[in-house]
Amino acid sequence: MIPEKLAQLDPIIHSRLRLAILSILISVKEANFNYLKNTIGTTDGNLSANLSKLEEAGYISIRKTFRGKKPLTTCSISEKGRKAFSAYLQALETYLHFKK
Amino acid sequence: MNESQAREEIRFIQEMIERTKRITAGSWMFFLIWGIVAILGVIGMYVLVYFEKYSWIWVNWIIFVAIGIVHSLVYGTKQERELGAKTYTQGVVGHLCLACGMAFMLVGFIFPALGLYSWGLIAVLISLIAGILVFVMGGIYEWNLLKWCGLIWWFGALGMVFIHENYRGLLFIPLMLVGYIMPALVLRSMYWRERDKNDP
Repeated sequence: MIPEKLAQLDPIIHSRLRLAILSILISVKEANFNYLKNTIGTTDGNLSANLSKLEEAGYISIRKTFRGKKPLTTCSISEKGRKAFSAYLQALETYLHFKK
Repeated sequence: MNESQAREEIRFIQEMIERTKRITAGSWMFFLIWGIVAILGVIGMYVLVYFEKYSWIWVNWIIFVAIGIVHSLVYGTKQERELGAKTYTQGVVGHLCLACGMAFMLVGFIFPALGLYSWGLIAVLISLIAGILVFVMGGIYEWNLLKWCGLIWWFGALGMVFIHENYRGLLFIPLMLVGYIMPALVLRSMYWRERDKNDP
């Protein structure tokens, strides 16, 4: 693969927070908003904005329900998101292999 | 992007994935409670034997198993709510525990009640299934300590064969301490250590 092409990583994933979100969601069946916030260590607003971006891209699905009277937001990675994350990882590994 | 940035991204991904493994360590309570329940059940059984209340032995076990089941359901639901995430490992382990739980019921209650074998064989068969449960969990969690505990259960089952059936249950207590309680306590310390590390 040509090095210049390697540099064109998926811009949706190529963000620390969105990368963190997908790394977590790839490891679990589903995770709620608070779990993502506490595990990553970010603010509500930041997390919300980045989740929306990932949802718009079709990489995650978000389900909003209620537990008693409290709203509950649960996220899971989509098949498209898995493939995109896998491709992103592969691009990183291929880049490092090329550099060797 | 340069090489160090690419390496840093891979390291960051690994770190995030590692944080989800903390969920696994939270299962220590199940091991601990079932270990305590089983030990109390064995002690209760021998107390009843001492007082020659043989018909109450089944009641003793039904009560302790019911306590274990209720606790597992309540704690499992509470843990799921607190953790906020479901892992694939939890699903697999959950099915394994359910399958072994059914096997325990059949081997410990149903088959002896139907007269398939004498009560003296129960401890051997229970130890065999406990070994399977713990060993396979060791494989799923990639934790060699649990695999060793599984082996200890199987050696214990083998050892019971050479003990008079009246005393086989007594070997159950050290097996439970080593094969259930000890990994529970190790898991608990791992869980609290990870929790303290990740909490702000």
